[in-house]
Amino acid sequence: MSASRVLVIARKEFTDVLRDRRTLFFMLLLPIVVIPVLMIVISDFMKAQLKERESRQLAFAIQPENRQLLRALANRWMHDNGLAFTALAARIGIEGFGGLDDLGRVAERMQTLKDAPDEGGLGDAAMLGWAHAWRELNADQRQMLADGGAVHRFLDQTRWVDFDDLPAAGRLPAGVRLPEQLPGRLAEPRAALAITGRDKAVHAALHVPAGGLEAWLSDDPALAVSLPITVLYDDSQSLSREAHGRFTDFVEALSHSEIRARLTAQRLSRDFVEPFRVVGANIATDSRSAQAILGGILPYLIILFCFFGAFYPSLDITAGEKERFTLETLLLAPISRVEIALGKFLVVFCAAVTAAVLTTVSLALTFTYGILPEGTAQAFDLNFEVPAVLLTASLLVPVAALFAAVLLTVALCARSFKEAQSYAAPLQFLIILPAMTALMPDLQTELKWAWVPLMNVSLLMRELLKGNYLWDFYAITLGSMFLLSAAALWVAGRVFRRESVLLRT
Amino acid sequence: MTAPADLVLARDLGKTYRGAKGTVTQAVAGISFSCRAGEVFGLLGPNGAGKTTALRMLSTVLAPTHGSASIAGHDVAREPGQVRAAIGFLSGNTGLYPRLTPREVLRYFGRLYGLDDARIAARTDELARLLDMTGFLDRRCDALSTGMKQKVNVARTVLHDPRVLILDEPTAGLDVLAARTIIEFVRRCRAQGKCVLFSTHIMAEVARLCDRLAIIHNGRLQFLGTLAEFRAHAGADEDLEQAFLRVLERAA
Repeated sequence: MSASRVLVIARKEFTDVLRDRRTLFFMLLLPIVVIPVLMIVISDFMKAQLKERESRQLAFAIQPENRQLLRALANRWMHDNGLAFTALAARIGIEGFGGLDDLGRVAERMQTLKDAPDEGGLGDAAMLGWAHAWRELNADQRQMLADGGAVHRFLDQTRWVDFDDLPAAGRLPAGVRLPEQLPGRLAEPRAALAITGRDKAVHAALHVPAGGLEAWLSDDPALAVSLPITVLYDDSQSLSREAHGRFTDFVEALSHSEIRARLTAQRLSRDFVEPFRVVGANIATDSRSAQAILGGILPYLIILFCFFGAFYPSLDITAGEKERFTLETLLLAPISRVEIALGKFLVVFCAAVTAAVLTTVSLALTFTYGILPEGTAQAFDLNFEVPAVLLTASLLVPVAALFAAVLLTVALCARSFKEAQSYAAPLQFLIILPAMTALMPDLQTELKWAWVPLMNVSLLMRELLKGNYLWDFYAITLGSMFLLSAAALWVAGRVFRRESVLLRT
Repeated sequence: MTAPADLVLARDLGKTYRGAKGTVTQAVAGISFSCRAGEVFGLLGPNGAGKTTALRMLSTVLAPTHGSASIAGHDVAREPGQVRAAIGFLSGNTGLYPRLTPREVLRYFGRLYGLDDARIAARTDELARLLDMTGFLDRRCDALSTGMKQKVNVARTVLHDPRVLILDEPTAGLDVLAARTIIEFVRRCRAQGKCVLFSTHIMAEVARLCDRLAIIHNGRLQFLGTLAEFRAHAGADEDLEQAFLRVLERAA
């Protein structure tokens, strides 16, 4: 065997393959262009959907007199909390707060500050100060600001519909049932019909018991009765769920305020009604939480695109060469079959590595500059330390070699490109499953998994990206993967020497 | 040791395929013949007679299951590398790499045959002039006509100046013009003292080219002799086709 003859074959196959559009697409265009564009479009679409749902006006069916009561409750909240709330709003930069109708400004500012990353990124010096002030607030103060947002969202983005304006007749769709003993007009099927009907006339329906505020909100502890407000909604529809959530937040905001007022009236501290309190101290920064997700996606995509990169060239230079009647001429040249196999292997191997490396770089850049809000990139410090990158790269070598050898073997057994495709395509499923294991956050990287091909690579890449250097796991993974790819290459060499396979056309 | 004049020598050469269920197919059942330098040797036979299998064994693509063969003194089983270096092989459906240019195809095969780049360039120019291919040497092969492609194939076959040429139905599927390129090419090779072994079932080609010929049917050699001896099988007013059929009938 001569290395120079192997290189002659490899050089020619490189030229040939690089002029093939399909190969270029899967090796270069897919990782460089398609992945970023697709991921940015999907993430923008999902963000837009979320925003659209949050800011959307929702329709509630309600009796007109109940509507007055809810408005009165909101006014009461503003009356009770106005002073404290105005002071809090000023701390996060909302000057001249104007009461119930001005809650939107506070809600918007809250959102900006909540979305801001752990450190830096906001640029604006004033904003930086408010973000700092916001972080300084205690849980109760934050709760009050959040309550303001809930009151605002419910009052501002709700359309009221009278029960009488809903269609009365019709059949409830399958899977819908009215619970027994629903109060008031909720017992009639018209509200449920309107929620589930095709035109979604309302998203939820409300029932508040009769009687004025005074009947319910007594200052006398002996007379206190909880006011039941029933909300009819459809959990299978996201907008109906959203309506239920918004209304619940609104009522909870009112409750918080009432509790504060009653405790003050009775000269009781909040601790009196809250004998226990769970203090959850989260030690993960946002970037760590993001790592847990990204660390799973990256290995999966890298392995998958490594396979895609090897796919077309391997088929093109084996089954494709048979189809074009060039293989026999090549077999007649004074070179050994093993040299042919190695030359071809080298090309497919390089294509697979190229695709995988480009995917990694492209994904890193896409997440950093495309998907995450500006400035948060630094917060997502996925471990791109040099040792982690080198170790990840070293894992790609046996993976690419395995894919190249297996695909070449399978494709060589086919008579035509099409036949090769139908043999090789199902291999994807064999790869996707173990590659996806990194996406399972609860699957621990135990040493026994180091013996499962591809799953070991997927899990180990996840750990490396998180900055965990598991040396024993690495040694087993690299060793077993190298043995496996060497075995696959040996099989490929055997198949390249079988005349019945080579001349099958 | 082979006499130096015998560039192709087949001795009881045979190939048997064993099927999955114990079936045995005898593609070539022990044939013997030889061809000398400066000789055009025709291998005739109906489709499925075993011509291609025989030529593939001589060119080392298939391993013989019994008997032996040698090319230019090298045994096909023991020295496949030297055998391949000594032959130029062409068949009617030999393809070209569609995404490479003729020049690149020639460079590739030149390197595989161990020629250095200067020699490859010189041979490419020489063959391009000879075969009138200068106009399309740098065009991609998928943009060439069938005739142009066949010229490139011819150039590829003789690039390394082999002593033996093995042509497996080289004119199959070609139009008259392209076929003429091949016929002229065979004549030129003979003039250069090469040994040409080619298979065909076109009698006109046999009459115009062959010095000696062999007829295979059902994997067995049915006739071996000179063109004149072959003609003797036919009656006074009969053509070669009749002679061919008569040999086959006698075999049946």
